[in-house]
Amino acid sequence: MWLPVIGILLGIILGLYSNIQIPDEYSNYLSIAILAALDTLFGGFRAYLQNSYDELVFVSGFFFNILLAASLAFLGVHLGVDLYLVAMFAFGVRLFQNIAVIRRILIAKWNSGRNTHKKKSNF
Amino acid sequence: MIKPKWKFAFTFSIITTIFGFMLGVQYRSIEEPDERDTRDMWELREDLKREQKLQVELLEEIRKYDQMQREMEKNESPEKALKDTLEELKAKAGLTEVKGEGVVLTVEPLFDSNLLGKPIQPISPELLKRLINEVNSYEAKEISINGYRVVNTTVIRDINGITKIDGNSLNTYPIEIKILSNDAEKLYSKINGSALKDDFAIDNLKLTVSAPQKQLIIPPYEKSIRIQNMAPLKDEKEGN
Repeated sequence: MWLPVIGILLGIILGLYSNIQIPDEYSNYLSIAILAALDTLFGGFRAYLQNSYDELVFVSGFFFNILLAASLAFLGVHLGVDLYLVAMFAFGVRLFQNIAVIRRILIAKWNSGRNTHKKKSNF
Repeated sequence: MIKPKWKFAFTFSIITTIFGFMLGVQYRSIEEPDERDTRDMWELREDLKREQKLQVELLEEIRKYDQMQREMEKNESPEKALKDTLEELKAKAGLTEVKGEGVVLTVEPLFDSNLLGKPIQPISPELLKRLINEVNSYEAKEISINGYRVVNTTVIRDINGITKIDGNSLNTYPIEIKILSNDAEKLYSKINGSALKDDFAIDNLKLTVSAPQKQLIIPPYEKSIRIQNMAPLKDEKEGN
């Protein structure tokens, strides 16, 4: 399960050395896209832990959420309403929920693991 | 057959790589520039002034070209407009005779060679270049040295111990330098107030500035200007 971590590190290194610089006025879009991506990542991980993971849903969700968030921010800029807050809020709340669920699942797994271990040692 | 777990890890890794790439790019984009801006208020003010001046100049240029374009459109024959432009450019490049007000500088030896007991050195190219730069900074318009017009591509250098301007020797004194300016009076007092005379005195040379003259004639540049590293613009839209 270390592959995703290696992936993220590889991505960061690629990004740092790629010499791509987003102009200041677009860095808002990228940050909101990053938030959307983060939300999708945690959502996918949760789904995997809950055994309801579907690859198509995950991959399409990743790109679709990024596009949606960026276009919402874009629309907001043109309407003069801070619509990117909508995306921030939605993704922020979902992020916390997902992480909470992941935490519970992990704790439950850990507890059950410890219990079975205890039971085994009792015999 | 790939196991579902490995399939998941593989997809997830690709997605996390993309995510990491986004993070890296974002980090690079928002990071502070390496060089800190350490200009103080006066330097900032000066820079601002310089930029404003540049802006004014650019606006003037835009206006000029706009006017030119309008004239070209208005003119029935584009030939005349082209000829006018050609004349204007020639005048700008220094290929025409120019009349106007200005001052005449004369360079002579400060002391006789008999008095010094050694031959008088020819004027050094560095000193001449310094003079030209200095008077240019005093808003000189056109310069000629011993009747040789100084243009943008003029070369002043030492060839075998003789200072030459565009290949013409400057080894006899006095050397006469004619300078045109919009305000000859101002140019005169600026040259007089500068350290140029002292610089010339160091090389045992005397720089005399004539009183501002109303009618000075500066000859055209006689040789052809060679341009090696220039090509006409392909896109006609950008030419305007």
